[in-house]
Amino acid sequence: MEKYDLTHATVREMLTEMKDISEIMVDLAYASIMFDSEETAEEVKNLEADMEELSKNIRIKAMLSARTHKDATKLSSLLEVASASRRISNAAGDIVKLIECEVDKRPFLSFILREAEEKIKRLVLNDGSDMVGRSIDELAVESETGMRIIAIKRGKRWIYDPEDETKLKAGDTLIVRGTDDGYDILRTHASGEEKWPVYPDEETEED
Amino acid sequence: MDQLDEMLLELKDTSELMIDLAYSSLLYNNKEIAEEVVLMEEMLDGLANDIQRQAIERVVQDRDEGKAFTIIKLAAAVEEISDAAMQIAMVTIMDDEPHPVIRLSIKDADTIITLAEVKDGSDLVGRTLGKMRLASQSGMWVVAIKRGRKYLYGPDKSTRLEIGDVVISRGPPDAEKYFQDLCFGKERLEEL
Repeated sequence: MEKYDLTHATVREMLTEMKDISEIMVDLAYASIMFDSEETAEEVKNLEADMEELSKNIRIKAMLSARTHKDATKLSSLLEVASASRRISNAAGDIVKLIECEVDKRPFLSFILREAEEKIKRLVLNDGSDMVGRSIDELAVESETGMRIIAIKRGKRWIYDPEDETKLKAGDTLIVRGTDDGYDILRTHASGEEKWPVYPDEETEED
Repeated sequence: MDQLDEMLLELKDTSELMIDLAYSSLLYNNKEIAEEVVLMEEMLDGLANDIQRQAIERVVQDRDEGKAFTIIKLAAAVEEISDAAMQIAMVTIMDDEPHPVIRLSIKDADTIITLAEVKDGSDLVGRTLGKMRLASQSGMWVVAIKRGRKYLYGPDKSTRLEIGDVVISRGPPDAEKYFQDLCFGKERLEEL
């Protein structure tokens, strides 16, 4: 996840960032429970700290920009939305605390989460897949399959909420969120069974 | 899955739907959707209480207090998410017009919300969301459908789309155009 320069960030940018972080945190929190990953839980805690920072800074920026009573009223509801994102992030923080509970008490949770409408699953990127070496943006993974890559495990390293420019590598474990059939589609590509679709007329269409 | 598991799952799925709906209500300044979020929150309050109560009752039988503790904690956290959704929805309800920056911020996010009307001639007409596998085909996840004056919230696989349906969905920014073109009948589904 991109680090943010809070001193120059606008209220608008910070609010977007808070929405994004709060949502990825919920996904990561459930992923940490499903795959019993303390590292992922740790990342959720780090993000919670980032949210706290953002939350403080957005309040300051908003206060500084209010000139009239009307401004202040409008900004106060904007801060309500920011505070709701923070609340979501706190909830995600509470979910990962379950990781600290006795391990044998949690398997039923993964079992339940496996039945959710949108599921969190993982898959390994095979050597023979044509996704290897290409960026998430180039592949447009989410619009192509409906699956969002929420984290990548590369060797011992984790990449959380990977950037669009992140290039995929053979052996990467992708933690993804989406529907069952989206997962099936993605898996056939990740295993190398199917080629990633190309749309030859795409460029000419733009002209 | 037993009954308690199913209740937990409903709590989780609904809380996520509520977040999407709450942001949709803000984006479109739609008080009707916001009111639905408030109703859902009341429903989830009751559901979370039932879950917690049942978890405790179960300990009396199976003495598995660790599991009950986990369930109670999770239910509380998920309920907090639904409270946050309501907090967002309340902004829509209380304000005549939300701060324009709120809308801009929502539009800039990694996950966006969009809507489109299903036109005559679209591949989506008469097909169910599950059959079309709309989520995996278009990248967009349908959160609500406005049909005539009525809203269908959190449609499932068996929901069939009709001409004139206004479909509100959530997904990555680069999927928005294809989704809208599908609704308008300008693009075809790849697999039918």
